[in-house]
Amino acid sequence: MEDRGRLSIIAELIRDHISLDGLDQFLCQTGVEKNDFVVIQPSDFSGEIFAIDGSNAAICSYLTANVNLIRAGYAVYRKRDWQRTVITFDDLFLADPKLSGTNFDPYLEHFFGLNAINLKESDLDRLSSYYREMQEYVAINDALNRSHPGDIILYDGSFEVFEPLRDVLATIFSRASEKEVALLAVAKSSSLSWGMAITLPFVQHTSMAASQLLPGEAWYLSLKGKKVDAGQGKWGGQTYVVRFCGESEHAFRVDVPEYLGDDMGQILGKLTDHSCSAECLGYPHALFRAHRDIRITEQEGAAARERLIAGLSELGMAHKEIRMLMQDYHDILEMRTRF
Amino acid sequence: MQTIETQAQPDNATSLLKPKVIEGKDTTYRIVSRNVSEYQFIVPFNLPDEERVEVGQIFSINDQGLTYLARVLNIEHSSNYDGHWDTTMKGTQFFDSDQIFNRVVAEPLGCINKNLEFKKSRTLPTKFSPVSRAEREEFKFLSQVMGDIEVGYLRNGSRLVEEIPVALHSDAIDHHMGVFATTGMGKSNFMKVFAASCMRLAAQGDSKFGLLIVDPHGEYLKGKRNSQVKGLVHLTRYREGLACYSTDRSNATDPGVEELTISESEIFPEDIALLYEWSAPQRDALDAISRIFDPNSWLDEIKTPDGMARMMQEGFKDSTVNVLVRRIKNELGRNSYIKKRSSLANILANLQKGKVVLVDIPRMSDRSELFLLSVISRYILDEYKKDEKEGEESRKNCLITIEEAQRVLGAASNTSRFESIAREGRKFGVGLCAITQQPKLIEKQLLSQFNTLVVMGLGDRNDRQQLEESAKQDLTSMDTEIQTLEKGEAVVSTLNIPFPVPARIHRYEDYLHRLNLEDPPERLIKKGGFKPFLE
Repeated sequence: MEDRGRLSIIAELIRDHISLDGLDQFLCQTGVEKNDFVVIQPSDFSGEIFAIDGSNAAICSYLTANVNLIRAGYAVYRKRDWQRTVITFDDLFLADPKLSGTNFDPYLEHFFGLNAINLKESDLDRLSSYYREMQEYVAINDALNRSHPGDIILYDGSFEVFEPLRDVLATIFSRASEKEVALLAVAKSSSLSWGMAITLPFVQHTSMAASQLLPGEAWYLSLKGKKVDAGQGKWGGQTYVVRFCGESEHAFRVDVPEYLGDDMGQILGKLTDHSCSAECLGYPHALFRAHRDIRITEQEGAAARERLIAGLSELGMAHKEIRMLMQDYHDILEMRTRF
Repeated sequence: MQTIETQAQPDNATSLLKPKVIEGKDTTYRIVSRNVSEYQFIVPFNLPDEERVEVGQIFSINDQGLTYLARVLNIEHSSNYDGHWDTTMKGTQFFDSDQIFNRVVAEPLGCINKNLEFKKSRTLPTKFSPVSRAEREEFKFLSQVMGDIEVGYLRNGSRLVEEIPVALHSDAIDHHMGVFATTGMGKSNFMKVFAASCMRLAAQGDSKFGLLIVDPHGEYLKGKRNSQVKGLVHLTRYREGLACYSTDRSNATDPGVEELTISESEIFPEDIALLYEWSAPQRDALDAISRIFDPNSWLDEIKTPDGMARMMQEGFKDSTVNVLVRRIKNELGRNSYIKKRSSLANILANLQKGKVVLVDIPRMSDRSELFLLSVISRYILDEYKKDEKEGEESRKNCLITIEEAQRVLGAASNTSRFESIAREGRKFGVGLCAITQQPKLIEKQLLSQFNTLVVMGLGDRNDRQQLEESAKQDLTSMDTEIQTLEKGEAVVSTLNIPFPVPARIHRYEDYLHRLNLEDPPERLIKKGGFKPFLE
């Protein structure tokens, strides 16, 4: 049973994190002013919107390496109409630190003309995350190849990228710029923070403030020059907070490469109508669809696990042997039977 | 053997990207589930009015040379999304109409093979088999199993399939028939259409049974005055298939309509018995009448002082006998058609010829109507029994219509005569056509004897349940459809037709017009049709 006193302290802290007591402190400490919020003017857009997403499901672990099922791809819309969903990668990934070079290098070389990935010891635990991210970049690259000037590519996440893959991102930005395609990263969750005494959520508080300052409007706010903890920021672009739809309460962190700096209002204007679906109000609908089409469900993960076990059995491994190697002892404690 | 590295990494550059493209292939109108007894498919949620799916509609599923037929039982809102997301819907509209849809639940009816043979299905269509609204071609096999008494057209949902008439089988009619509908749903119209088709068969010499209709409302003979509603006499083209008897003098003066009379000698004590509630001594006295008096003159004799004295000599109290006599006098006084002569022999003869016999008794009380129906029915059943003994084969079977049948076939009714027709009439070629708006009041065991059911919209759940539990074909799955039937629409369940058929009953006046325009045989000959003799 938790300590009552401790519980109330935690509750107070959470309240302090979440609630925004008046705008003055927020505006003062972040340097944000009312005029910094730019109302988005909706504009008609008949080009294609590509939305890139990826998914990663742990299939099994045998202590020295993991097997993950990874999927990446994109959904394509024209106005409100879904055109197609393209899965660019859908396979198992054997996350063994010693195999990392052979897992990554062919893709980096083939798609981005880059040499071997440089992983530090501390990065090895994140192998499957890197791999999923790399596959998402391959998907962006494929979308770029199929896009036309003026199209928009949305990426689910942030461009505040793991250092080993920054060069990949730089290549993508360069290609997108050449092709005159807008590339934006939309993050559903963000660690952007403000505050001196405690760490406060910047995107949520900006959204609350804007609801008072510009009720019912879609807007965007550039973080340039604002007192916000925005990470390392070495990825070569600008970060914004955006409310895509005036009827929604939600705002998102949006990362934009440098080359789009002057066109932000115009690009976001093309996305307002696309972000007011009944299914997912306030979020660019293509990202919603990409998430649903590309996600790996629990059943898919279980099926992949069973296929893997069947494959091992065919190779002559006894079930007992497989279980001993792969079963996580937590499964025993939780009385789960995954194998 | 491959090294670990070669197993884990892609073979070559071309295998690095093998995109799988999912495009807008139509997932709607394809079988998606579920099992042998229930098919499911999805349709767009925003179909225009004319394409909307309706309960009762029949769809066809084409699968490698077989055409499965399935009737829509239910339509549900559905989507590929989990949870209750749609109850908190915001925004301007749905974007992904391929993810949000209506799920159609359908009951398999059977399948048709390449030879147009219909069979019950013991398997299910292949997943994703295409589904479409069944059209004339798919229903063609029904034409082959329909009977000779046309009553309407096949209906698919609200749409008519005019090329496929719905027709009952004469052969099944002596197996009893029920017409069930709440007021205003078209029972009388149905009966007139049914009678008109029977008149047509009779006039053409093709009739297999005589139809007796006793009409207490006076609407079958000439329709309704000062309105467009027509009667059976207006079917001039096949008028010879109809014999009319009326207690209304003005009607009886019409050519072709005889005055209805019943002879006193044709009335039995049990006809009086069904008209009243009797005490035990009174019932004993009624039962004794046949023993005490001459069956041909008991009505006259019992009213005389001598007759009453004979009853009392048998041990019945004078008060009991007085009640009996008073009630008999009342009935004789009330029913002016009771005379020395009788129409019953004629009625019987016409029925045995296969004609439609209409007994028109307008403005007659409920009790008198029952009394008359009892006398006629008993007479008919007795005569058919005699014919059966004598091996009379030339006579046609007979169907006796009873309006408000719950009065005489109900669990609490004391009218064993009609029950006995229901139970044993078929042996002698006598069937019942029970018309009621309250099937729940009809004894379930009797209802189960009915092999032809015409159901025309029943709002009361108990009525539907009673039918569903008694019907020869499974009607349970059609509960919603029966509940939502509109005026003139029916579900027809009968022998020889493999599943309960949705029908739109002809509007009598339209049907009348059509029949009156039919070519007589001599004109058919001129047109190159049937030519019976060589010149």
